[in-house]
Amino acid sequence: MNEKTRNTLIIRFVITLLVILAINFFLPRMMPGDPFSTTSSDVQGEDIVTMTEEQRQYFISYYGMDLPLHEQFFRYLANMAHGDFGQSIYYKIPVTSVILIHLPWTILIIFCATALSTAVGIILGLISARNRKKRSDRVMMTGLIAFSEIPSFLLGIILLLIFCVWLKLLPLAGAVTPFAHYAGVVDQALDIAHHAFLPVLTLALAQLTGVYLLTRNTLITVSSKDYIRTAYAKGLGERIVWTRHALRNALLPVVTRTGFMIGLMMGGAVLVETVFSYPGIGLTLRSAVVNRDYALIQGILLVTAVSILLCNLLVDQVYRKLDPRVSD
Amino acid sequence: MTLLEVSDLKCQYRLDSHTVQAVDGVSFYLQPGEILGIVGESGSGKTTIALSILRMLGHSASVSGRVSFEGRDLSSLTVPEMNQLRWKEIAIVFQNSLEALNPVMTIGEQVTEPMLRHLPITPSEAKARCVDLFVMVGLDPSWMNVYPHQLSGGMRQRAMLAMALSCDPRLIVLDEVTSALDAFTRKEIRELLYSLQKTRGYSMVLISHDITFVSSLASRLIVLYSGTIVESGPTPEILNDPRHPYTRGLIHATPDIFLYKDLWGIPGDSPAGEKQTGCPFNLRCTQPVDACRETAPFLRPCGNGREIACHRGGIATLLKAEGLRFRYPLPDKKTLQAVDDVDLEIHEGEVLAVVGQTGSGKSTLAHILAGVLVPETGNVLFMNGSVHGGTQGHRFRGIQIVFQDPFSSTSNRFTVCDAVKEPLDINKIGDGEERLRMVKEALDLVRLPSTDQFLGKYCGELSGGQRQRVALARAMIMKPRLLIADEITSALDVSTAANVLRLLKGLQNRRGFAMIYISHDLSLTLKIADRIAVMDAGRIVETGNAHDVMLSPKTGYTRRLVGARIGLCCHDHDHAQEMRADDRKLKP
Repeated sequence: MNEKTRNTLIIRFVITLLVILAINFFLPRMMPGDPFSTTSSDVQGEDIVTMTEEQRQYFISYYGMDLPLHEQFFRYLANMAHGDFGQSIYYKIPVTSVILIHLPWTILIIFCATALSTAVGIILGLISARNRKKRSDRVMMTGLIAFSEIPSFLLGIILLLIFCVWLKLLPLAGAVTPFAHYAGVVDQALDIAHHAFLPVLTLALAQLTGVYLLTRNTLITVSSKDYIRTAYAKGLGERIVWTRHALRNALLPVVTRTGFMIGLMMGGAVLVETVFSYPGIGLTLRSAVVNRDYALIQGILLVTAVSILLCNLLVDQVYRKLDPRVSD
Repeated sequence: MTLLEVSDLKCQYRLDSHTVQAVDGVSFYLQPGEILGIVGESGSGKTTIALSILRMLGHSASVSGRVSFEGRDLSSLTVPEMNQLRWKEIAIVFQNSLEALNPVMTIGEQVTEPMLRHLPITPSEAKARCVDLFVMVGLDPSWMNVYPHQLSGGMRQRAMLAMALSCDPRLIVLDEVTSALDAFTRKEIRELLYSLQKTRGYSMVLISHDITFVSSLASRLIVLYSGTIVESGPTPEILNDPRHPYTRGLIHATPDIFLYKDLWGIPGDSPAGEKQTGCPFNLRCTQPVDACRETAPFLRPCGNGREIACHRGGIATLLKAEGLRFRYPLPDKKTLQAVDDVDLEIHEGEVLAVVGQTGSGKSTLAHILAGVLVPETGNVLFMNGSVHGGTQGHRFRGIQIVFQDPFSSTSNRFTVCDAVKEPLDINKIGDGEERLRMVKEALDLVRLPSTDQFLGKYCGELSGGQRQRVALARAMIMKPRLLIADEITSALDVSTAANVLRLLKGLQNRRGFAMIYISHDLSLTLKIADRIAVMDAGRIVETGNAHDVMLSPKTGYTRRLVGARIGLCCHDHDHAQEMRADDRKLKP
C-alpha cells in the first residue's frame, strides 16, 4: 500500500466515522420522550421513579440538554475527541465502563457463531458441490434454504423451549451461573460455554445457509474452470483437486462474506441476547433505548459501527493475503 | 509398437434437453516420437478427443470405443491406476488462458506439484528440477515464485509446457496452445516445441484450429469436421493438394497460406453435434450428390498413406481439356496459333484464373471451353461428357460464360427482363410466370433491383456496371456449375470493377460453383483465384497455387508478368528495379 492509497483510506474512514457520529447523535433524540420521563419498566418489581417537573428541569439542565441541539452536538464531538463517551443516565456510571462490562460477552458469542457457521457452512457446501445434481445435494439445499427462512428470535425461542424448558439441559438465561464458585479455570470456562451454547447456536444457524450456499455455488463455478481440469489431468485424485485447488479459490468470496456477517450479527445479537437474556451489548442497547439513555445509545452504536468498519478493513487485508491478484 | 491407438471413439454429451454427438467414430494412431496434428474449426470435437484420451470427460458424457496406450486399454484401468498414468505418462497442455493455471498458487508450486505426486522426489529436489525445466522452456527461474496473473500469455504458455514436461511423459497432448498468442510468441512456442521434439523425441498430439501452426510441426494431419475425420495423411500432401472440399475450404481461409487472396470462409455453419443423416459436410459442400444426403461416408484409403471420407472420392474434376489447338487464318494466308496444345483441369468449386497479356489466346481458350468455338484437335470433357455437341450451355447446372464487353453482349433494344430471361426463352424452360420469378431471383442475386420499373428498362439506358451485372444475371439464371468469366471487369472503372468482382466471388463462394476467370490483370486475379494458369502465345506456361505463382514464378514470362505491375512511388521501388534487371538478363 503506498502513501496515497493509505491517505485516501484514512480520509474515507474519517468521513464515514463523522456520518456515523451524526446519525448516532440525532437518531436517539428523534425518538419521542426523554431520559427523565420513563413511565414503564421491563424488570418486575422495579420502582418507577416519577419526577416532579422541577426535578425534571434540573436533570435536563444538569445533562446540558437545555442547550440548542447543534451546540449539544458540537459539545458531544468535542468530548468524543477527548475520548469522553459521557455518563450513562440510567446506570449513573461512565458509558465506557458499561460497554466494557457487556461487550466481551457479545464478542464471545459473535466470534464463536462466526467460526461455527463458517466452518460448518464450508463443509456442507463442499459436500453438496461434490454431489451436485444428486439427491443428497438437493435435499441439503432445500432443507437449508427452508430453515434459513425461520427468523432468528423465533428459532431462539424454539431452542429455548426444547433445551431449557423441556429437556432442562441448558440454563434459561444469563452468561454465568449467579453466585457460583468455580473449582478452576476449566470449570469456569465450561460454565461460560454452557450458557453461551444456545445464543451461539441461534446466531450461527441464522448465518449458516448463506455461507453454505455461497460455498456451494462458488465451488460449482470454480469446478468448471480450466485449472481444475489441469489438476485432474495431473492425476492428483478427486480429494486433493477439491480441497487444494477448488476450495482454495472458492473461499475468497466466503471470506468477504464473513466480514459483512460480523456486522449483521451485531444487529442479530440485539434480538438473540434479548431472547436468552444474555448480558451482552445487544441487551444493553435495548434497555438503553427503552430508557432513552442517549449517551449509552450513542456509545454502543459507535462501538458497533467502528467494529464493523474494522472488520471490513481486516477482511480486506486477509483477502489481499489470500488472493494474489488483488495485491497489485 | 504404436504409442497411442484410438479406435472408433464416440463421445456423446447428455444435456438437459438433448444430446450432442461431439465425436462420432474417430480412429487414429501415433508412433513413438511422432507429432500428429488434429485440425478442425471450433466445435468439431478436438478438445473432446483430447479429454477422452485421459478419460477426463465428466459424468454427462458417454464414451465408447477403445483408447490404448502402449498396448494397455485405458478404459480397463481403475481410477487410481488412471491417476497414476495421468501426467506421468500422458501430460496435457490446455488452451492458453488466464484460467489454465490456478490463480492462487505460485507457478513454481504448480510445476512441482505433479512431480511430488508421481516421482520419488523430495520437495527440494523437485524445486531444483523445476529450475531446470524453466531453463529448458526458456523462462527465467526467478519467475517460480510469482502468480499466474503476473506473467504474460507467452510466459504462461511456457510455464504450462514446463509443467507438462515435469514428469517426463511419453506423450504430450497440446490443445490449442497458441490460439491466444501474438504472432511472435506463437512462433517462439513453435520453435520451442520443434526443438523439444528434435532433441528429446517427445511424442505429441497437436490439436488446433490453426492449420499453419499445426502443419509446421506435425508430420501427419487429421482433419476433423463435426466429430468425424474427413481427411488424413502426410502434412505436405494435404496442404498442397487437399482432397476433401472441407480441407480445401479450411486451407483457403488461412491467410498465412493464401497471402494475397481476399478472405472467404466456408459458407454456413458446422452442425456441431446435432444428429443428422448423410455426410456431415453435405450442406456446405460444393459438390453434393444424392448419396451425400442419405448416408455418411466412411474414411477410405486413397493412396500415399492418405485417407478421405467422401462419397465422390474427394474433390471431383469438373472439366478436363486435353491437347486443345486452334488457329485463326490471317489475310496473308498465314495462320495465327491462338491456342497451342493446352491441357487444363478444373475441379468442383475451384476458381482458376487464366492470366496472360492481350493476344495470348485466353479468350479463344475461354470460347473453346464454353463450347462456343470448336478446337481443331483435342477435346473438352465436362463431367465426363464432351462439351462440343453437348448441351452444357442449354441446361441448368451446366456451363455459362460472361463476356468482356457488356455493351455488345446485351442488346440495347432488349429490356432488362428480356435480356435476363433470354436463355430460358431460347431453351424453353418454364412458363411465363416461372420465368419472371427466376429473372427476379437472378437480379436479386447480382444485387440489382427487381422492380417492374427496372425490369422494363432498356439495356441501353443502363451504366456499364449495371449492364455487366445484367449479363451476370443472365448467366446465373441457368445455375451454372462452371462459370467462365472472360475479362468481365476490364471495361469497367476501378470501383465498379471491384464491386462486380466481389459480387462474383461472393456468389461463387456461397453457391459453390467452379469458375474460370480470365484476365490480363494479375493483381486482380490474386484477390480471388485459388489457382493461376499463365498463358503466353497460346500455351499455358505455368500452373500453380495463386500464391506460389506470385511469390516464386517459375518461368521467365511469369516473372515478367509479376514485374509488370506498376510499383507506386511509396513502395516496391527496389522490387521493380530488380524486375527490370531480370528483364534485361532474360533478353537474348
